Order: sequence, then structure tokens, then C-alpha cells
Amino acid sequence: MNEQVTRPADRTTLGIKPTPGWARWVNEHRKWVLAAPAMIFVAALIVFPLVWTMYLSLTDAEGSVRADKEFIGLGNYLKVLSDTERFWPAVGRTALFTVVVLTFEMIFGMVIALLLRRSFKGERLVRLAILMPLVATPVAVGMMWRLIFDPNIGLANAALALVKIPPQPWLAGQYTALPTTMLIDIWQWTPMVALILLAGLTSLSDEPDEAAQIDGASTWQRFWHVTLPLLMPTVIVALLLRGIDALKTFDILYATKGKGGGSYHEVETLNVYAYGLSFDYNEYGVSSTVLILFFLIIIGCMWALAGRGKK
Amino acid sequence: MKRSTFLGLALVPAAATALSACSDGGASSGSTTLRVILANHVWTEAIKAAIPDFEKSSGLKVELTTLGEDQLSDQYNVKLNAGTGDLDVMMYRPLQEGKLFAKNGWMADLTSKSKADKAYDWADFQESPIKATTYKDKVVGVPIITEREVLYYRKDLVQKAGFAGPPKTLDELKAQAAKIATDNPGVAGFVARTGKSPAVTQFSSFLYSYGADWTTADGKSALDNPKALDAYKMYGGLIKDYGPKNVSTDMSWPQAMAIFQQGQAAFYTEADSLYKNATDPTKSKVADTVGFAQFPAGPAGSKPYNIPSWALGVNKASTNQDNAWKFIAWATSKEMSLKTQQAGVPSARNSVWANPEGVKGYPKDIVDATLASVKVGVDHDRPVVVKVSQARELVGAPIVDAITGKDVAASVADAHKKFDAFLADEK
Amino acid sequence: MRTSPAYRVFRVVAIVLIVVAMLLPIIWMVMSSFKTNIDIFDTAKTIFFAPTLANYTTVLAQANYLKFVWNSFLVAFAATALSLLLGVPAAYSMSRFSMNKSALVVLMARVIPGVSLLVPWYYVFSNLRMVGGYGVLILSHMFVSLPLIVYIMMGFFDGLPTELEESGEVDGLTPLGAFWHLTLPLSTPGVATAGVLSFIFSWNNFMFALVLAGANTKTLPVAIFDFVGYASIDWGGLMAASSVVTLPIMVIALFAQKYVVSGLTAGATKG
Repeated sequence: MNEQVTRPADRTTLGIKPTPGWARWVNEHRKWVLAAPAMIFVAALIVFPLVWTMYLSLTDAEGSVRADKEFIGLGNYLKVLSDTERFWPAVGRTALFTVVVLTFEMIFGMVIALLLRRSFKGERLVRLAILMPLVATPVAVGMMWRLIFDPNIGLANAALALVKIPPQPWLAGQYTALPTTMLIDIWQWTPMVALILLAGLTSLSDEPDEAAQIDGASTWQRFWHVTLPLLMPTVIVALLLRGIDALKTFDILYATKGKGGGSYHEVETLNVYAYGLSFDYNEYGVSSTVLILFFLIIIGCMWALAGRGKK
Repeated sequence: MKRSTFLGLALVPAAATALSACSDGGASSGSTTLRVILANHVWTEAIKAAIPDFEKSSGLKVELTTLGEDQLSDQYNVKLNAGTGDLDVMMYRPLQEGKLFAKNGWMADLTSKSKADKAYDWADFQESPIKATTYKDKVVGVPIITEREVLYYRKDLVQKAGFAGPPKTLDELKAQAAKIATDNPGVAGFVARTGKSPAVTQFSSFLYSYGADWTTADGKSALDNPKALDAYKMYGGLIKDYGPKNVSTDMSWPQAMAIFQQGQAAFYTEADSLYKNATDPTKSKVADTVGFAQFPAGPAGSKPYNIPSWALGVNKASTNQDNAWKFIAWATSKEMSLKTQQAGVPSARNSVWANPEGVKGYPKDIVDATLASVKVGVDHDRPVVVKVSQARELVGAPIVDAITGKDVAASVADAHKKFDAFLADEK
Repeated sequence: MRTSPAYRVFRVVAIVLIVVAMLLPIIWMVMSSFKTNIDIFDTAKTIFFAPTLANYTTVLAQANYLKFVWNSFLVAFAATALSLLLGVPAAYSMSRFSMNKSALVVLMARVIPGVSLLVPWYYVFSNLRMVGGYGVLILSHMFVSLPLIVYIMMGFFDGLPTELEESGEVDGLTPLGAFWHLTLPLSTPGVATAGVLSFIFSWNNFMFALVLAGANTKTLPVAIFDFVGYASIDWGGLMAASSVVTLPIMVIALFAQKYVVSGLTAGATKG
């Protein structure tokens, strides 16, 4: 397997000078020298907000974070966890939304990546076209979709009318709003999954796949037994990154249904709820509690996922 | 590209970041620079154009930031909570966040400043708007824009249906909307905001015109008043029965206005400050047949709201309060108020309204409607509380239920209970 | 190629459908930017309408619009470059040494909801007198990009066999030398992908710029809200502004494609 690696002839050909003492130290400690800067950067920026939010969640802060507040221990937590009107439905919507969009995005993303794997004419433009949903400004995208899906003057119903399907409420209907936002999300984020999977695919060698084909394996078998296992690390990465983002989805929901996720909170997920508590209601104690709980839920999901797939 | 080239390129931003972190950041030194935050509004456009004159005459430099309404609100939330002196003059909504800001001690006391200069003429400001920018007898803001609810209507459709003019009472409105809707399939008789929170302000005029209000004199919920129930039923019923098909239950003004602009509704109750959206031919298909009338009378008369939608205040944590006042005094002076009113923004100064120059350029029926509304207007268009957002959602829920055909009486009773508990909590 | 003709046809059709689905709303948006405000709402005028350049004139004539484009570019470029600088080596180390727990620390940056960052960050940066400058924008964008880059690169490095560096060390390269001369060139598709995605995220980031940017350092997504007023929304202007915002990214993406594609040849030389 090593024969095909471009082997450097030797150090003098590459023009590498003998290793000075400091470089030796760096090489020996490279594990942390390479990893530490990124970790320190993140830790430095995250510590204060995290501690601050945890502190606020234990108080009854409202109106202003600097106003007098009382330490109420776990009072907020009890209140939030027993709130079946806003909190638990928000949890449910968050779970539903995430599972659905993630499933479709992974499947569609994989299909697209597989289709684009081999070189073909015009592939640069196709790749560019696929990037467009990702690239378009989310603000404008949200307002654009709101217009497209307007039941009375929107394009969506006008298009349906052309094929004689009755107009749908789309974002306006109490039970159709969330699925419609799922549609928008899938449109917008499938490209990201496709891109990540494609990068992974292009770095796989063709040999195992061709060998399997010679052995007479069908397309599906080749995919399931050869390609997918090799692609697993990339798949996990895409799942993890998109999963976290999906749990935290905010822009699309806010742009299409506004504060509170609609009059009946149709699209109010945990992030939308926490945002409303902070910026709308100024209930900082409660919003911090929701944020901390949200944080823990995401970590829980990650733990489950990362534990399964990592080498 | 070679790795070393890339590495070099990457280090440039690193150096730039380190440098810029120190310079160009944050507050400017010296108090001759004024940090002003304004909302995107026609008023702001007019002021922006005149700022160079202000800078010349005062010797101050104005660093202006303009933002959309919601973004503005978010900015204030973060900056005022952090308590730093990064902004001096703020444009805020007295009825939405005024009480909260004042209660939190974020507004500077302008009482003495406002009364100091006779030429400024504090007494010239209309009474209701001033009330909204005063907290516990202290002046905390100067109102700059006022608005009232009026009836937008389609002159052509009213005429075609054989009516002499726009409806003068709410019952007439219902009748006219019904007839026009039947005669013109595809056109709704009536449209208005439907979102739980956005609709509250436009619904308020209905509430007052039925003789009800949000709270009683001693601060309890007044939603158990049977007249309130009638008001909810009227507003919701109009939209349910004569509104657009499949109407969305989260329309704020952009969505409702779009329906009217496209010619798909005959009547629309909305704030008069938005009138240009209907009369501008580049925006509205019905620009040449739209008319404006005073809000139709309910059993208790025509009682639309007359409120200051925006005001200017000074950040209490600002280190530049005297100069901040200079800006406000200039922007709200008689001269500037006349200019902004001429640009299409209803001001809060009596003298400007009395001045014929001040009403030039407005469609005549809007001026009439406005002047009539000022006389009978109610000074609030939403519950006057600290936690306005929550209050709006509580009292707005029955509106949406009325629109979707649910049991309105039960919904109002429920809202009354919750609102009462909410008010007790606020005390 | 051993692909059947049937598959080739299917492939073409599928790709065309996908491209159309992805592009249709964008095309609609660009077309809208050439319509008057009335026409945008008029479904009858979807395809055939009288075009106008008025929206673009408004956008470009607006004071400082090009400055905002520059601001967005500067911040996105710097944030991406610095994140790559910090993130790629970190990802390499975390991959080779299976530092899963340490990787999670970096991922935390992506997990924490943005809402909880705003007030504390504003407070700290305001006291450091950094608000309104480019530095704070770059730092906040890096915060978002770093986990993305680290994780994508980790997945990538996981797929590169360790024999690669081992053979380099046999030839006398130090471990870091092997990384620099051997591993890195082969990871160009990963770096290009991570870089492009990071740039896009940075370009479109709205929340941090809203709170931390000054009048001079405002980035495009915030500037777009200039078209959303209290009493009117200039839809045509909004669509034109959005179209203008998208253009630079398209150019960058086109440029970066070269490096994503280079993986095709690199992959063939790996064992």
C-alpha cells in the first residue's frame, strides 16, 4: 500500500536542515502544542457566558440583568420542568424537527454526493448551483419563503393551482407550519451535508469499490458494504455538525413565524422559546434555565452519537 | 497555492486582528462625539439629511446607527443590560419598552432640560404623547412620531356597491364588507392584522369604541366586561366571515398591507403612519382609489388610539448627557418637527398641526381623519404595563381564537383570569 | 468507466432535477430584484414583467454599501484564515491521538446557544473597549468556525492512514515535518471544504454583527435590514441587496472548487 505514496527522496533533497533543539521539543510535545491553541481559544470565550448563564438560572432575574434579584436555587428548574404549556411542547417540536430534517438531509445529501462523485462535464457549475441555498443570506431567504408560501398571494399556491391542487395553508396553518419550515430547512442545508460527504467520498480510493464490482456486487451492496463503512467517519461528522445546528435552528423559524413561533407557538422550538424569554419577556432567570437545560439536552444527544461511531 | 503562501496570508489577518482590537474600537474619546441610534423610519431619513447642519451649528460630531425595529430592540436589550455607556441618544417605543426602561433606571431624567428653554416650548407638545413619555412625574423622553388607527378603504368598491361613502359605524362596516365580499368574489371584505401580538394594538380601537378597556382604574383586568367580548367578536368575526380565505394567524402589518395593496381587500383598519404603503404607486396597485376615514364608531363612539409610536431618550449611563440633549432639542424643535411632518411623519407638536404648511402634501382625507382622531383619541393602544410582550400575548389570544372560529367567550374568560393574575404579579 | 448507459441517463436527469430544486427559489429572488414592489407580490407577473434597475440603484447608491461588502469580506476571510490556522493542526493532533474528549471542548462552542453569549460578551468586550472594531467581530466569528473546521478535518484525517507519516519519518522527517510535507497536501479537499463552509457561515452571520459591530464595521446581513423599516419594507431593495450579497460568495466558491476537486487526483495516489 505504501508504494503509491509519493516518497520524498531524503531530507537533503527536500532541503530540510537538521532539527534545532526547540523544534525537537515542539515535536515531542506536539500533541498539546497543536491542540492547545484551539482549545484555549474556545475555553476563554465560553467560560464567562456559561458561568454567567448558570448563575442567572439560579436567580429570579427579570426586566434587567442588573436589577435586584434573589437567589432562588432550583426554583426556576422546577418551574420550567413542570411547564407543560410552553417548555415540553417546545422540547417535542425541537426533537421532531431535528429528527425529520436530519434524516432527509443525510439521505438527500448522500444521494447528491454519490451522484457527483465521478467527474463529469459541467460539474463545477453543478457544485456551485448546489451551494446556492447555503450561500443566500438567511434573512432574505426567510422573508422570501414567507412570501412564496403566502396562502393568498404566494407562488406556492399559484403553482399548485396550475396542477389543480387546492391551495394549502403552508406556514399559516396551525399544523402545517412546522412541516413547511422543515421543507425550507431541508432545502437550505442539504447542500452542506452533500459537500461534507462529497469531500469524504473523493478522498476514498476507488479500489475497494471496483474490486467489489468485479466480484459481482450490486450497486446497493457496493454502497452498503463497501462505500458506507469507509465513509463512516465523515458521515458521523456530518451527522454531528448538522445535528447540533438543527437542534439550534432559529433563523428560519424566526423569519417565517416571528416572535413566539407563531400565535399558537406552532414552530416554537427550545431555541426560539429561550430567545423569546430573553428578548421579549425579559425573564432572564427563566430563559437562562431553559438555555442550560437545552445545553444539557444537546450534550446528551452528542454523547449518545459520538460514543457510537468513534473509532 | 503553496502552503507557505497560505500560511503567510493567514498570519496577516492575525496581525490585523491584534492591531484593530486596540484601535477603532468602542467609544470614541472626548465628549464631542455623540452616539445616536435610530430606527429605520421616514422620520430618520428626514433627520439624517439634516444632521450635517446640526453638526455645523453645534460643533458636535454625530455617529449614527440605524436599525430595523426588531433589531433595535435586541440591541437595546443587550447594550442596556450590559450597562455600558456606549450609546447616548436612543429612539424607543414609549408604549412597548418605555415603562421597562424607565423602571430599570436606564433613562436619564430630562425634566429640567425640557423646561429650561422657553423657545423650545415644552407646552406645545400634545398631552397624550407626553403622558406616555413621563414616568413617575419625571420626563424621560420626547415624543417624535404619533399615530392613530384609521380606516383604509377602496373608494371604487364602495361606490360600486352603491354606498354613499365609507362606513361611519362598525355595524355599517360589517354590512358594507359583507356586500362587497359577496359582489366581488376573490376580494375580501375586510383585512387586518391577525397575529396574537401584532393585532392587539389595532384591536384596541375596537375595544375602546365598545366602551371597554384593558384594565380597570385600580389595575385589575377589565376583560370580563361583556362589551369587551362584543369587541373581540366583532374584530374576529369581520376577519373570519369577510376576510381573506385561509388567512394566516400570524399576520403583522407587512402581510396584511400586502393583501390590501394587491387589491384583494376592501377595508383595512391600521395605523395612519403606514398610509404611504397604500398610496405609493410603486407599491400599491390601488394607489389611486384608496381613501381614509376616521375609525368607525362603536356603541361608545369612535375611540381610536392616539399614541406616540416613537420617542427620543437619553441613556442614563451616558457620559455625554448635555450634548445628547442638544441633539434631541434640535431634532424635536418646532422647525425640525415641521420639516419631518412635511416629509410625511405625524409629529407630536400642536403648533405643527395647526400650521397649514405642516399638513401640505398629505392626502386630505388623512388629515381630516387625523385631526378628528386627535380630539377623541385614547392615549394607549395596549396594556400599560412593564412586561408588555407577555401582556399582549395574553390579551391577544382571544383575537386569534375569534378569527379561527373557536369559542370566543371561553377564550376571553380564560384571558381575563390569566391577565388578572399577571397584573397582580406585576405590582 | 463501468457505468451503464441507463445509470448515466438517470444520473443526468437526477442532477438536473436537483439543480433546479436548489436554484429555483434563488432565481425567483434574483428575478424579484428586477421587479417593482407591486409586481413582486403579483403572482400573475411571476415570469413576465417589466424589469427595472431601480432597486439596484437604490442599493448601490446607498451610502457605504460597498464598505459593508468590504467589511463582510474582511471579517469572513480573517475569521476563516485564523480558524484554519488554529483548527487544522488541532484536528490533526486530535485525530492522531484520539483526543475525543478534548475535541468535545472545541465542539462546545457550537453547542452553546448564541443567545447566552450576547450579553456576557458585550459586557466583556465593551469594557475592553473593543466593541465596534473588526477584532471583536473576527473573534466571534472564529468561535463559530473553529468547531466546524476541527470536526471536518478530524473526520478527514481519520481517513488518512498513519503509514503516511510513518513512511515520512522513516525517511528522516520529524513528525511535524511529515505533517507539513505529506499529510497537509493530501488534505486539500478537506481544508477547502471546511474553509468554504466556514467562510459562508461567517459571511451570513447576523447575530454577533448586530450587537458587536459599529457603524463603520457593519457587515452585510445587518446592513440588509436597512431595507426593513418601521413603516415600509422595500422588498425590491431587499431582494437586490440579497442578490448583491450573494455574488462575492459565488466567486469565492468557484475559486475554492479547484481545491475540493483536487482531491480526485490525490485520492488516486493513496494506498
